[in-house]
Amino acid sequence: MTNFLFELKEGLLISLRAIRANKVRAILTTLGIVIGITSVVLMSTAIKGIDNAFQTGVSSLGSDNLYIDKWEWFNNDIPFWELRNRKNLRLDDYEKYKELAKLPLAVAPTVWSNQTVKYKERNVESILIQGTNHEYINTTNLTFNEGRFFNELESNGGRQVCVLGFDVAKNLFPRGNALNQDVKIRGQKFKVIGVLSEQGSWVMGNFNPDKQIFMPITNIFKYFQSEFFRSVTINVKAKNSQMVEETKEEAIGIMRKIRGLKYNEANDFSINQQEGLLNTINSTVGVIQIAGLFITGLSLFVGAVGIMNIMFVSVKERTKEIGIRKAIGAKRRTILGQFLTESAIICLLGGLVGLLLAIILSMIVNQFLPTSVQAETVVLAILISLITGVISGFAPAYSAAKLDPVEALRYE
Amino acid sequence: MHIIEIIKVAFGSLRSNKLRSTLTIVGIIVGIFSIIAISTVIEMLQTTIEKGVSQLGQNTFQIQKWPAIQSGGPGEAAKFRNRPDIILEEFYLLKEKLVEAKSVGAEQWSFGRVIKAGNRETNPNVQVSGCTPDAFPNNKWTVEDGRAFNEKDIQSYSKVIILGPDVAKKLFPNYSALNQEVTVDGYKLRVIGILESQGDIFGQSQDNFALIPLTAFQSMYGKRSRSINITVMSHDKETYTELMQIAEGYFRTIRKLGPGEENNFDIFSNESILTRINDITSGVRIGSIVVAAIALLAAGVGIMNIMLVSVTERTREIGIRKAIGAKKVNVLVQFIVEAITLCLIGGIAGIFLGVLVGNLAGSFLNANAVIPIDWVLIGVFLCVLIGVTFGTYPAYKAANLDPIEALRYE
Repeated sequence: MTNFLFELKEGLLISLRAIRANKVRAILTTLGIVIGITSVVLMSTAIKGIDNAFQTGVSSLGSDNLYIDKWEWFNNDIPFWELRNRKNLRLDDYEKYKELAKLPLAVAPTVWSNQTVKYKERNVESILIQGTNHEYINTTNLTFNEGRFFNELESNGGRQVCVLGFDVAKNLFPRGNALNQDVKIRGQKFKVIGVLSEQGSWVMGNFNPDKQIFMPITNIFKYFQSEFFRSVTINVKAKNSQMVEETKEEAIGIMRKIRGLKYNEANDFSINQQEGLLNTINSTVGVIQIAGLFITGLSLFVGAVGIMNIMFVSVKERTKEIGIRKAIGAKRRTILGQFLTESAIICLLGGLVGLLLAIILSMIVNQFLPTSVQAETVVLAILISLITGVISGFAPAYSAAKLDPVEALRYE
Repeated sequence: MHIIEIIKVAFGSLRSNKLRSTLTIVGIIVGIFSIIAISTVIEMLQTTIEKGVSQLGQNTFQIQKWPAIQSGGPGEAAKFRNRPDIILEEFYLLKEKLVEAKSVGAEQWSFGRVIKAGNRETNPNVQVSGCTPDAFPNNKWTVEDGRAFNEKDIQSYSKVIILGPDVAKKLFPNYSALNQEVTVDGYKLRVIGILESQGDIFGQSQDNFALIPLTAFQSMYGKRSRSINITVMSHDKETYTELMQIAEGYFRTIRKLGPGEENNFDIFSNESILTRINDITSGVRIGSIVVAAIALLAAGVGIMNIMLVSVTERTREIGIRKAIGAKKVNVLVQFIVEAITLCLIGGIAGIFLGVLVGNLAGSFLNANAVIPIDWVLIGVFLCVLIGVTFGTYPAYKAANLDPIEALRYE
């Protein structure tokens, strides 16, 4: 054991001396690894940022939620003309479902409309207005900056009140105090009774709650959309994530009953889940990840090839030295260790510098995409650079170790 | 020194150090490979998109109510929605005025229709167009079997139809559709022609449509319910841009737009759509090629390193060359050529691999195979550039060796 430690220390000293003896060469070799590690770390950080943005966007939908809808949201197995010919879901369907369903925690109908919202001289174009009832707040995880959601009385009475998403409020009321002001939509006045705090992320586009307005569903049907042409979506929140499947089964049964479907008829509605979206997102991010890491991995590979090349040169140049060491009793293992240590040190140095560069660059990336270099990425990068050093150093070190001392001493 | 001799020396020194040369070349191969593979995939997607977008014939532009590519979100949509529809009378006015054009066609579309024949019917996703005879060349529609429309069909509201190949195959799998009767939305129409296939884009067929004389179409679906698209073809490339301006002017007159008023219609051509698409995709393109180029940078550093080693090892040789009269320039050129040779060998292999793998990857996306000639040339150029950039310092070092010191070097 002590013998091994001594060899390690000796090997370390020799390799440091060798590196110092050829400064330009060592720097250039390290540079190859620096480029590789920087690009890999930076790419994985950026991918993590993209993934995070998607995940937070999805989680704003809520994981225990089901959406009973005329349309299939995420999968295109059913041709669209069959979906189109389905009967619309009506508010009556919602009432019946709510009456019959025992499992859900909360159930709310939603219908949307795209409108321009005005406040005095300011206006925001094409805002998604969600019409719903007081139960809606229980089906989501929305949180409030100020004010409250509309209550049962306001919802049933169809009062002209509304709740603004974060971005909408910021655009219409840049100086705050939106509460109790009247915003105008298609000439109708709606009193602001609540403003949401920031919820979603940019990946959700218009479905980001920050860019929406909520109001009692009767207002939508009264002013913006015909009740007979617009299909309602029923938002269902299960009691907990274990109950989602059961709630879904129950919902299918109840909806079939409400729609009066015979046993041999297919469902004329779809039950949508966040899972569908997650699958789509995961496969997209997966492709980006594989492509991104593969391309940047190539540059690391080039760096590794560079190291191997230089180590071969170094072995050749030091053939005589190796011969002498062997002649005075160095074992194969010792020589192997010496050259492996040398390439590992070069790679480790390159890895550390590359990491530092990546962290600095990721601060720039952070301006566009919220991200940061994670602790596990740091550990992984150091590990990868060490492994790269050992792998690319092995062939040259092995060729050094098995040199015949007699031949090596004779080498000019 | 003669250039052929320089190259011979370069090859000789590369051969004398096979392992080293191979490893160096591998670096370059990988670097060039990643750039070429990426740009091949992008080029494949690009040409496939271009093919999908270039639906108009040569030297043709289209006047329509909606812009070809919408941007600026749904808020902008309201502005376009409020534009007046283009109506048949406007088309006739324009056609009468636009004597400079080779052909002026009109077409109107209805989506998601069902066509029936006997007990067979298509899915409700067939696009049906009412059009005039001139719309055929303007849209690159060629009739494979039967005939196209003529003016008589238009004037007499002929109840005839020309089927796209997909529709014909679906309705009449066993025999020719020609002169058979089909039903569209309750109207009986006689098939007088079948179109040539236009191929597919990303695995999506482009042949699922059918054509009806414009007048008959309007008697079926109503005169005022849809906006007409007008396509105009010029006689040749030279008059094309001029014709576009003339047409714009005439159409403004027809629309009675005063000076300073914005067009309430859109004119576009294949090229204008392509430039818009290129604007949108150029960011992605540049980004991914820059990322791919990083590997090449690493390879360049490797070359520089190996060239430095090579110079050190051959100090004596350089000394002898200088002693017998080689100038600085000769030594400089010798080592730069050696670096370029290394790069070119790797580069050519990398280009081959890149085109191959890129096409393979692109074929999974159902894109059409392509050899990006411009990127092959850029790849070769990059090799030379890398060779010169990273070979210059070692070569400079070699050229500036003092012959006396060099000869004495052990």
